Amino acid sequence: MYLSIATWLIVASGALAFIYILRRAYARARDPKPDPNDAVHYLYPVDWALLESLLDPAADFALRWSLDRRALRAEHRRRMRLYRELVRRMAHNSSVLADFDDALFADSHLTRGPDSKLRQAIIKVRFYCAGVRLKLGVWLLLPDAFGLVPTPDLASLRKAVEVDGPKAYDELRVAAVEAFARLRPNELEALTRGL
Amino acid sequence: MTDLVWYIPFPLVPLLLYLLVKRGAYGTFPCFFGYVVFGVVAVVARFFTRSHAPLYFWTYWTTDAGYALFGALAMYEILRKILRGMTGVWWTRLIFLAVIAVGVGLSLWRMHEVPPQVQGRLLLFIVTGEIAVRFVQVLVFVATVGFIAFFGFRWRQYPLGIAAGFGLHSTITLLATTKLSDIGTRFTFLWGVISLVAYSVAVLIWIGFFSVPQKEQPPLDPKVAKHYIALLERYLNVLRRTR
Repeated sequence: MYLSIATWLIVASGALAFIYILRRAYARARDPKPDPNDAVHYLYPVDWALLESLLDPAADFALRWSLDRRALRAEHRRRMRLYRELVRRMAHNSSVLADFDDALFADSHLTRGPDSKLRQAIIKVRFYCAGVRLKLGVWLLLPDAFGLVPTPDLASLRKAVEVDGPKAYDELRVAAVEAFARLRPNELEALTRGL
Repeated sequence: MTDLVWYIPFPLVPLLLYLLVKRGAYGTFPCFFGYVVFGVVAVVARFFTRSHAPLYFWTYWTTDAGYALFGALAMYEILRKILRGMTGVWWTRLIFLAVIAVGVGLSLWRMHEVPPQVQGRLLLFIVTGEIAVRFVQVLVFVATVGFIAFFGFRWRQYPLGIAAGFGLHSTITLLATTKLSDIGTRFTFLWGVISLVAYSVAVLIWIGFFSVPQKEQPPLDPKVAKHYIALLERYLNVLRRTR
């Protein structure tokens, strides 16, 4: 019986995946394509200085040195929420870039394959963001447990799922600038600022 | 009418091969290209041996084993292509191994629960291996669609097209195999027709995807790229200094 359930689950997932592709193809054909020149307006800027300060091990150390346990925990949770927001923006920006990269090629037969520089940068950033959001979600759910559970350091989130997040996002920025070089100069400048 | 079904792959597979050669797929997807070349050879070999029962029997099962092997390699190629940028990340290499392990495990379980009605150890291995590859193909297809949905990628990509063809064929074949064990030998003939129609639809999907040329965008003029990367670096430096 369990074998039948497993087989039916796999068959059903295959069928659902196929239906999803058909639905997406239909939606793509029906919906208006986004204008690549609008990409900059959809981006949420990621404050790089804030990101680096949150991931700085020295900042974690200084906090541990100067604050009592309760205040330290409150400060850590504040920093975690801030970092979660930055990671959310990074994930959002990578999705926006993927959509607008598609739009750039909507009317031509040229395409960026999944192994292009921008695509691979997007994959890295998305993996990193998913890993970090999962970790932060768990950390923020953890109760104080009377101080028995040590508060995790944000600096350890520089790397998640074996991906160096800030480095991957830096690569995404460079790849995006290269990919969107056909935009007007002022929009390209806005793009670099928006990322 | 049912006789006609057996001849459907004859024009389709060579047409697909022609398109693959035209698009230079032998360089970008060598395993899938190998699968299609093998498909042409298998279709021709089965056709010429069809009137000689023992020879046809062995040709059929040998080519089936070849299909399974090339099919598994093609799925590995797709995953490797999608996750190329993650080569430094050790666990991405485990994805395909995990999928293979699940496929083989389910197939062995199936062999234990519902032993295939074939004679000889070799045929038993071929059938079990083939079912394992079917599981692998559906799982890789689902994973590919999941990746494309998660990363927000363009749906009309060659790797997705290849995975979709294999995924549809394998889903229908697995469904038919399950029904075969439920209904018994009365379903055998229909199973053959369903399998052939599913394969023909898969070939049509591949033809559909490969009929549209997809080339990588030509690289950007290095001077232009350098200028904008320098501009980006300036912004980043300003941001770093504001810390």
